[in-house]
Amino acid sequence: MTLVIQLIFGLVAALIIGAAMMVVLVRNVIHAALWLIACFFGVGALYLLLQAEFLAVVQVLIYVGAISILILFAIMLTRQVTGEGVRQLVGGWRLWLTVAISALLFAVVIVPTVASQQWNVPPPLGPEGAPEPLAGPAELGRGFVSEFLLQFEVAGVLLTVALIGAIVVAYEERARRRRVLTLAEEHELRKRAAASDQPAGD
Amino acid sequence: MEPLQIPPVNLILLAPLLTVVGWASALLLVDVFLIPEGKKKLTGYLAIAGLLVAGLVGLPLWNVSGSTFSGMLVLDRYSLSLTWIFVIVGALSIAMALDYLPRHGIEQGEFYPLIMFAVAGMILLAQGTDLIVLFLGIEALSITLYILTGFAYPRLTSEEAAMKYLVLGAFAAGFFVYGIALVYGATGTTSLAGIAEFLGRQTLVAEDQTLLLAGAGMVLIAFSFKTALVPFHMWTPDVYEGSPTPVAAFMSVGTKGAALAALLRVLAFAFEGVQAYWLPVLAALAAITMVVGNLGALGQTNVKRMLAYSSIGHAGYILLGIMVASERGAEAFLFYLLAYALTNLGAFGVVIALEQQGESVWSIEDFAGLYQRRPMLAVAMALFMFSLAGVPPTAGFMAKFFIFTAAYEGGLGWLALVGVITSAIAAYFYLRVVVKMFMQEPAREVQPELNRGLNADIIIAGVATLLIGLVPTPFIFLAQQSLVALGG
Amino acid sequence: MTNAIPLEAVLVVAGALFCIGLFGALSRRNMVGILMGVELMLNAVNINLVAFWRYLEPRFITGQTFALFVIAVAAAEAAVGLAMIIAIYRSWQTVNADSVDSLRG
Repeated sequence: MTLVIQLIFGLVAALIIGAAMMVVLVRNVIHAALWLIACFFGVGALYLLLQAEFLAVVQVLIYVGAISILILFAIMLTRQVTGEGVRQLVGGWRLWLTVAISALLFAVVIVPTVASQQWNVPPPLGPEGAPEPLAGPAELGRGFVSEFLLQFEVAGVLLTVALIGAIVVAYEERARRRRVLTLAEEHELRKRAAASDQPAGD
Repeated sequence: MEPLQIPPVNLILLAPLLTVVGWASALLLVDVFLIPEGKKKLTGYLAIAGLLVAGLVGLPLWNVSGSTFSGMLVLDRYSLSLTWIFVIVGALSIAMALDYLPRHGIEQGEFYPLIMFAVAGMILLAQGTDLIVLFLGIEALSITLYILTGFAYPRLTSEEAAMKYLVLGAFAAGFFVYGIALVYGATGTTSLAGIAEFLGRQTLVAEDQTLLLAGAGMVLIAFSFKTALVPFHMWTPDVYEGSPTPVAAFMSVGTKGAALAALLRVLAFAFEGVQAYWLPVLAALAAITMVVGNLGALGQTNVKRMLAYSSIGHAGYILLGIMVASERGAEAFLFYLLAYALTNLGAFGVVIALEQQGESVWSIEDFAGLYQRRPMLAVAMALFMFSLAGVPPTAGFMAKFFIFTAAYEGGLGWLALVGVITSAIAAYFYLRVVVKMFMQEPAREVQPELNRGLNADIIIAGVATLLIGLVPTPFIFLAQQSLVALGG
Repeated sequence: MTNAIPLEAVLVVAGALFCIGLFGALSRRNMVGILMGVELMLNAVNINLVAFWRYLEPRFITGQTFALFVIAVAAAEAAVGLAMIIAIYRSWQTVNADSVDSLRG
């Protein structure tokens, strides 16, 4: 049984990492978005493996069902898809600097920290063979109205503000707003108006 | 199914926050349904009224303190003083924007409720005692500011600035939550009290605490992005230049103040046990911030970029007070924040007055000969420049004096020395503006535009700057009283 | 599950995802690509949180709740960011981050 679990974990991890690498490396940005969807599915599968079922469903619903669709819409509305002749990654020394930073962060900070920590993993609760009493959606719901009530409300306000903001930013009508005249142009206009009044008054 | 137990929540402790959020939400609806196009200034006046009401609501809470929401939110005098500072900052920024927006053709009613939501985010940062609450507060503040930065739509640089700010802010948010996740993994809790208790239980050996330290380091990196400490400051000049000037003023004071206030609480309360680790790092950060911020402003001919670099430098000074983390340091921090807030808002107000309609050149040359055309404006700007430089008898001088003495008493004398030297260097570019205003001839036709809101802002800021500088005692007393129960 | 897979393995996967996202956010030129990198970073954080929840204190719900809030914030930022990209495209006719860089200097 453990072997099966390890195998599944290995496959899911490979999917996540592989899809993530493709996201950052492919030329065509629509392909990148599709690889992103694959990565999100992989993360959802990992949540299922970790027995956080509600979170797995939320992951698929929101990340795949909403955010990825949003990304695809944005890509299609800003049509510069193929990237032929246009480099997709920054060039030269900046690229190597970025690779160095990421690799260093991983190898020097994350891996040693994680490996050296004394994890006090508590033994599985409950008797052998019986399913463990894990916290699930019931506790989640309870938590939202008791312990995490404030964060819940603040997150609501935050989402409202983001909604308003997105509309304010992208509203079509703004594009048709009149350009404001500079002071010099206003002077010109006033002079021309005064000059054109003269002959009429003669 | 057991019935749900909703724990008792003391809403009184939230009164200012609830007022601001409730008023802003109602204002959104009122603005859409009741206020016609062209009369959007009314929304602005209502927003100012809402902020002042929230400030007044906080008055009777001066003697109340306590925590609620199972310890995630606390009301003490520290947060109450900060709430008042943020309310004043918000109200003055809106006053500056009342005429600025129609003049530049960017008036939209949503601006004012958005500023109020940003102020709510700041209050949340001042009151939060749990890392998740702080994260949500910072994100609420940041998302609002991304939108506000992009408000000057017809100007292309405004959208560019908003995009840069968003990308870097999202990046910093990623670091922030990664750090919180690591801290949660190490300590099993995200509340500041819980972390402090965890650290109190352990004997401090570096090897055992790598996870906690890595998490704390990432949280620190994220805070440095938000408060624009060097070397994470690259976005500040571009974003301040691109955003509408009232928003730049609001950001330079509000975001820095709120983020630094939260950082103070996190460092002094939760991570007190590992002070030996973060103190040298922060000291180095403060030193290079002071140096780079002030040196960076030396070569600027664009007033907004100059003020951006100056605000980076001032964040370095404020960091001194936070690092000391003693009572003295926190008092100095509050006092400095108040003085800096009023001075900076005044300086930006003058920049708005001189900002030419439809152009995007904020050249220092516009200030040339201002004394001959508008003497009072020149005098006010001179006052603000003196205060930022730290010349007596202005508020800035008092603030720097307190922060440097607090740093010296806290054992960071060499940092205070760096601060004094960089202040002396900074005086050059502040006084350069003053010299231009009084000694040079006006170069080109510049029409200062003043109106009620802008007048009010400059007058209030100017009077406050002078007042705090001449009679600092009541404000110092206020700052001292604010810390009576810090951390309790 | 906890017997089969050590906690370190899950955390290393999350760390790798974070670093790949970091690389993507820093080095992609297309602005949508940069946002995709940030989304990868936030997903990595969520994996961390859920792993900590499952292995260290599976009876409390703090880890999962925090992960939900991170998802909410990520959605909000993605919405605002993509709206901004669309607005920029209307004016600049490009979404190349290096072209939209007139402020430098």
